[in-house]
Amino acid sequence: MIFWSFFRVAFAAYRGFSWGVLSLESVELTVPSAEAPLLSGITLHLPGGHFGAIVGPSGCGKSTLLKTVAGILPHTSGTIRWRGRNLDEIDLDPHELGYVPQFTCAQPRLTVGENLTYATRLRRVGDAGIIRAEVERVEEETGLTDLHDRRAGVLSGGQLRRLGLAMELTTNPSLLLADEVTSGLDPKSEEEITGLLASLARQPGRLVLLVTHSLRFLDQYDSVTVLTEGRLAYGAHPSGLASYFHVPAPEDVYPVLGDRAASAWAEEWNSSPSELGFEIEATVADLASELTTQEELKTSIPGLHSQALAWFSRRMKLFTRDRSQVFLQLALLLVFPVVVTLFAYQGLPAVRNMNMNPDTDVVQQLRESLAFTVQSSRIGTLVSGLAMFQVILLALMGSNNSAREVVGERVILEKEKLAGLRPGAALAGMAAFLSLLVLVQSAWMTLFVRAVCQFPGDLGGQFFPFLMLTAAMTSLCLAISSWAATSEQASLGSLYLVGFQLPLSGAILALPDFLGWMIRPVISAYWAWSGYLQTLKDTRFYDLVRAITETPLATSQMATWVLTLHLGLGLFLAYLGVRRSDWR
Amino acid sequence: MVRRAHQQTSPSLWLVTAIVLIVLAGVGAFFFQKDNNPYRTVEVLKPADYLENANSLRGNIYQLEGVIAASLGSSPEKGRLFSLRTSQGEREFPLPVLVPPAYRDLNLQKGQRYRLKVRVNDAGLMEVEEMTKS
Repeated sequence: MIFWSFFRVAFAAYRGFSWGVLSLESVELTVPSAEAPLLSGITLHLPGGHFGAIVGPSGCGKSTLLKTVAGILPHTSGTIRWRGRNLDEIDLDPHELGYVPQFTCAQPRLTVGENLTYATRLRRVGDAGIIRAEVERVEEETGLTDLHDRRAGVLSGGQLRRLGLAMELTTNPSLLLADEVTSGLDPKSEEEITGLLASLARQPGRLVLLVTHSLRFLDQYDSVTVLTEGRLAYGAHPSGLASYFHVPAPEDVYPVLGDRAASAWAEEWNSSPSELGFEIEATVADLASELTTQEELKTSIPGLHSQALAWFSRRMKLFTRDRSQVFLQLALLLVFPVVVTLFAYQGLPAVRNMNMNPDTDVVQQLRESLAFTVQSSRIGTLVSGLAMFQVILLALMGSNNSAREVVGERVILEKEKLAGLRPGAALAGMAAFLSLLVLVQSAWMTLFVRAVCQFPGDLGGQFFPFLMLTAAMTSLCLAISSWAATSEQASLGSLYLVGFQLPLSGAILALPDFLGWMIRPVISAYWAWSGYLQTLKDTRFYDLVRAITETPLATSQMATWVLTLHLGLGLFLAYLGVRRSDWR
Repeated sequence: MVRRAHQQTSPSLWLVTAIVLIVLAGVGAFFFQKDNNPYRTVEVLKPADYLENANSLRGNIYQLEGVIAASLGSSPEKGRLFSLRTSQGEREFPLPVLVPPAYRDLNLQKGQRYRLKVRVNDAGLMEVEEMTKS
């Protein structure tokens, strides 16, 4: 087996494109918004069992290079190969890649143990015992065992970086990319994290790349890659760094980089006879060893159901730990129905009918007709208004449920997707959590208002349009959240969506006929309002509402169908929004 | 192939989504809109024809829509007789309608708008077979 693997690697090396476990050939990255390429002509070959640093002054493209390797930024030309395969053709398996970004992916309200448990549940198959054992393993590996029960929100910077690393190690990745994880740390913590990464790189076949600005602890690295203005200025053993740049100490390299054009540095490095500084034989041996262990390291990703359950469980825990969120939800739940009932806290008024005797004299008939018109106006407006008021407040609750659900957790979501989370699973987890809110909100609104205002009609028939409306608005706002660039944008978009419901529903002012046919299909509030009023059809309240509104009322079936479409559309758009990549 | 960390939505998927949505909305509207008028297969009564010669319509079944104008009489055995205000074009017609005892529980009041399925009985009077608020 080893002979065969060695042969394969040697053959690849002979062909000259894959003599490192990670090989970059003339990688270039250009973006329309920048005049110069962010990366240009990057050729780099790194072996397994290796700890490499990517260094350079600010803005030189260090993080960009790391993101390009991870696939977060698509390179515009050149090839990136991992273990000989072109990543444009077969991407990195989620379990092959560990990417530790600059920001923390840990949930501050969860403990270290909980963060690791959920990260493992989302990424690895196994029962509770296996998950626990895995968590214990990575805690031990990263020195977090004593912090198992401590909340992430109170960890120091260094401890948080350890936690970020630990979350990535749950899949035992063979390519670990760490972006500025030592930045902003005190020297002791920086040394600890660097040492930890160095020890992690000792696992056979594993390549660890650290992007850092710091040139301290150079002795820990197996290689240093120096970038300047997106070009490769040096990529070899750190011991040769100072002499290559003709400076007394490595710390003096950055000022020297500005003395010449980046292209000149790149040209000089490319023409250097000691291009890599690594022994090819050692690289090939590493790779052969790596290929033999590759299948052993590979583990499968949990199914959609397991991931959705893990996401839902974590969301529930986060919700219950966030007192302000619980308080806000409770306040809305209790206050909104009370506000509705203020308008009819003594119950709906009785309806006085007109005399049906045809022999009544004309004056009497006119007097009765006038009184009935006044009554129709008053009671019809009240009943229609109460129905619409409930609808609008439920729409507001729906928007509050989900306006920040995706956009607020976007960075964590992207990180989890890179680690193997299915977009459908994330959406299912979110939908399960939001369904609980929707169910409670619509049920309580229906029951409370019905009880206080003494609404007649079928209870189930009144609850269902409200349930569907709240679900539809929640899903549509979830879609907005999944496509918004910022939380503010999502909140504003959701608020507009709710704000347009009332005037365009036709409940207060009837729209012109042709406009009504065009606009009503997209106004959820109209359908919920119609569906609710249909349950009053056997009562006089329905007649009075019909007497005061020119807007046609949809049937219950039609209302249910359209609200179902709104719900489905919201979920589908949210799925696309969750699925798309949005790294910030 | 696009790498996993860089998923985007293709324009064709948007187009398919829009088409599917329009088709679903259309299909739903086609089927559920029918519920607006449960008697849509029944011939619409022309009030002028009825008033001109009710006897010639005996035994026929029609649908009509109108507003209850007055109660003309009632009997426990025969039911309630109402005057229904209907319209044909620009003109309004008051028509007598007999609501049988089967609809005893229905709270019929002046000003209510109903859609009716009626049979012209042997006496030339319209007798309600089914009725629903419109």
